[in-house]
Amino acid sequence: MDISDHNRNATFERLLRPQLDRLYRLAYRLTGSKAEAEDLFQDVLVKLFGKLDDLAGIEKPGSWTSRVMFNHFVDNRRRFARRRLVSVEESQLPQKSVESLPGVDNPEQDAERLDDIIRLGKALAELSDKHRLVVLLHDTEGYKLTEIQDITGDPLGTLKSRLHRARARLRELLSADATF
Amino acid sequence: MPCEHINEKLDDYMDGTLDDTEVAVLRSHTESCEICQQTLRSAQRLRGLLEDYPVPMPDAAYFDQALTKATRVGTGHQRNRWIMTGFGGAIAAGLIAWIIGGMLLKTPGLPDSDASIPDVAMTLEVPHTVNLVFSSATELDGAVLTVSLPQGIEIEGFAGQREITWVTSLKAGKNILPLTLIATTPHGGELLAKLEHDDRDRTFRIRVTVT
Repeated sequence: MDISDHNRNATFERLLRPQLDRLYRLAYRLTGSKAEAEDLFQDVLVKLFGKLDDLAGIEKPGSWTSRVMFNHFVDNRRRFARRRLVSVEESQLPQKSVESLPGVDNPEQDAERLDDIIRLGKALAELSDKHRLVVLLHDTEGYKLTEIQDITGDPLGTLKSRLHRARARLRELLSADATF
Repeated sequence: MPCEHINEKLDDYMDGTLDDTEVAVLRSHTESCEICQQTLRSAQRLRGLLEDYPVPMPDAAYFDQALTKATRVGTGHQRNRWIMTGFGGAIAAGLIAWIIGGMLLKTPGLPDSDASIPDVAMTLEVPHTVNLVFSSATELDGAVLTVSLPQGIEIEGFAGQREITWVTSLKAGKNILPLTLIATTPHGGELLAKLEHDDRDRTFRIRVTVT
């Protein structure tokens, strides 16, 4: 490796490392499975390395890298065909995630909470990809609608309406399921 | 305010985007309306579950490996940057052979290979530069080229590697990738160059003989 390679690698790591957690989470939200998320995540890192000069000049790399990931996902949608997400089970939800859920402090509540989350996973699987994505990014990942707009390019009004419908549909599915 | 209107405002209420007057109206209504109270509780419970909906995160070592892999593939690309010139420039540079394999997969949308010299004759241990020439009707960003080498054939600078991958972009028109090959054994064989973009791919084959 020569010096310029070394500098590029170091610059890439310095710029990307703060984004990795967020990018991986986005990959998982887009694909719904660990295996597909890892493929998407790796693809996008390779792609971003090729765009290092652009990346270095970006003021808000978070939005930009997320958009690169979203576009790559859309362009390769068939490859990243979503595994229908009854995904809490499919993804082998680690027990420690349940233990670490806030507001639960005894095994019975833990078990109930886990059941609720599994039901939520099934209800999310009933939504269209677009509805599921907006509700997961907004209500789970904490993106603002304007940030989602930056990533997907959809109009703000469309996203807001999609979010409203997604929540309503989830409430409907979960109340039919007697969760609520 | 009718219940339907309250229902429409619940999301905004929970997102904190209502003004003070609207918040007061909504609270006043839900205090006296059991149905809307229940709807609000249900919305709050859903929000709580969504906030806790987990992502199984990989460990830190996975991120390190992913970064390393990205830079390794990308660095390979930097070392072997495609020469985006036309034929004239390439000839002027004194390159030795025009390669170019036959197209095996008839997938639309990827560049055609340019001509048809599927055989390359090499001399043992003598570097031999060949050019993969692709012409593409459109610009292709983020194309992945993987070169697979037969045993005993190496690309200069990549000793011992049988498969090398570049991520690159193709411009519209002719794109030339010069590869300096070295034969370390007299066997020869078939070199494969697989070009992938989106979910399409094409594989080009070149027969290498060594004397």
